[in-house]
Amino acid sequence: MPELLPGEDPDEIRERYKPDAIKGDMDSIRPEVKEYYSNLGAKIIDESHDQDTTDLHKCISFITTNPPDPDNSNLCILVLGALGGRFDHEMGNINVLYHFSSIRIVLLSDDSSIFLLPKAHSHEIRVDPSIEGPHCGLIPMGAPSSSTTTTGLRWNLDNTSMSYGGLVSTSNIVDEEKVTVTSDSDLIWTISLRKHA
Amino acid sequence: MSQLPDAYFPSYHASSTTSAREEKNTLSLTRPRYDLSLQTFCPPGRVHELFSDLQYSLLFSSVHFPTGPATPPPPRRPPAMPLPTMTHSSSFLLPSPPADPADAVSYAVVVLNQRLPRFAPLVWTRAELRVCADGGANRVFDGMPDLLPGEDPDEIRERYKPDAIKGDMDSIRPEVKEYYSNLGAKIIDESHDQDTTDLHKCISFITTNPPDPDNSNLCILVLGALGGRFDHEMGNINVLYHFSSIRIVLLSDDSSIFLLPKAHSHEIRVDPSIEGPHCGLIPMGAPSSSTTTTGLRWNLDNTSMSYGGLVSTSNIVDEEKVTVTSDSDLIWTISLRKHA
Repeated sequence: MPELLPGEDPDEIRERYKPDAIKGDMDSIRPEVKEYYSNLGAKIIDESHDQDTTDLHKCISFITTNPPDPDNSNLCILVLGALGGRFDHEMGNINVLYHFSSIRIVLLSDDSSIFLLPKAHSHEIRVDPSIEGPHCGLIPMGAPSSSTTTTGLRWNLDNTSMSYGGLVSTSNIVDEEKVTVTSDSDLIWTISLRKHA
Repeated sequence: MSQLPDAYFPSYHASSTTSAREEKNTLSLTRPRYDLSLQTFCPPGRVHELFSDLQYSLLFSSVHFPTGPATPPPPRRPPAMPLPTMTHSSSFLLPSPPADPADAVSYAVVVLNQRLPRFAPLVWTRAELRVCADGGANRVFDGMPDLLPGEDPDEIRERYKPDAIKGDMDSIRPEVKEYYSNLGAKIIDESHDQDTTDLHKCISFITTNPPDPDNSNLCILVLGALGGRFDHEMGNINVLYHFSSIRIVLLSDDSSIFLLPKAHSHEIRVDPSIEGPHCGLIPMGAPSSSTTTTGLRWNLDNTSMSYGGLVSTSNIVDEEKVTVTSDSDLIWTISLRKHA
């Protein structure tokens, strides 16, 4: 955080950007970092006994049991650092989207934003061209899709089937500010994020 | 239709689920052993229809045999037919190539438009054919001297010269294009073809211009296919499925990934000096009802995998040989060791 906010006092930044909870195996966090945030009141939740779920899965579970606003069911979880890096981690993180398919979870990197479009829903994706696009894709990650229909894309799908080994919609272009997607299968939507000067 | 004795049915099925598969099949999965016995009963010409592609198991049900003897021979259960084996090795990442002519592999390298991984010079040197996809040429031009500091950049650029540059030509810098063109690199403008990814185009180029036409043991190493734009990464992985009979390895600083085509018995040799221990098996594109492994910390035993269910990630390689058999195509991934 201090590196991303140069010109400000690093200590002030660290106090301001303080996590509410730190959850996981605790085998990567530096001891001084753990102590620093613990002293500032962050909950330290050691989950090293649970080897069956990924760190992301554990954090999503934590958030769903301790939602930021219990009166507001309109929760959206933004995840940084889930893409790139070790490929098996990335795939495991995407699987978490499938496990929590009723919760809005967005995986973000410098280049891309991705989220799940659960099947049997009619999806409306509002695209803000000042921050995202135009490159996008629809990925039949876990299973083929016999029928997907879209509007708002340069190459729309019309009751089209998609699968690995067949058509996977990548390097598509968002042509309108509203994109609609309906599919018989869960799909991963991805859109590029604009880099600002 | 007369009842066929059991001896004529192979004990496993291999069916192609998509018609978009690359038909060029360099693997040993061609004909089952029973074709000779069928020839004695089939009318001439039938056998070729049956075994023209991987869909032979489905075609058995439609074969008509001439009426046989009144008392059919007693059913003979054939021994379970072993699946064709595919072995995989990452010896191309070793500092010096293994001296084993029997295993000789002919390498080609494709560089896509992302920062070069730290082992790019090693892999480039190992390859007999080097292709850049459009902006990948910029990466080679800028990146190779960076990875070989202390050497003269101009000498490095001349030494690490692509054989071909293929793609849209909308990312390659004009001066880079001119530089490599002057050095003899083939520039192949494919901007008219919007239907296939840059990687797809480069793989096609390599398969039609193989580095060693006498050596069917081709392995294509790809740099820059992972990370970056997520749709690009997914499109690149789809290329592995489209060219499922060709060994293609996608490499990044962190990981190595390749396809394990279904209905094969895979042997993955792991060299702990360069890779592991973290690994995974990903049922990308379709669920797998049954996968069995050996050599992993958490082996699968006729286990099903799917997105939404189990995907084997953060597994650990425990032995130097890992075996995988699955009813579904899987993506194998292993972490690469970072050297000081």
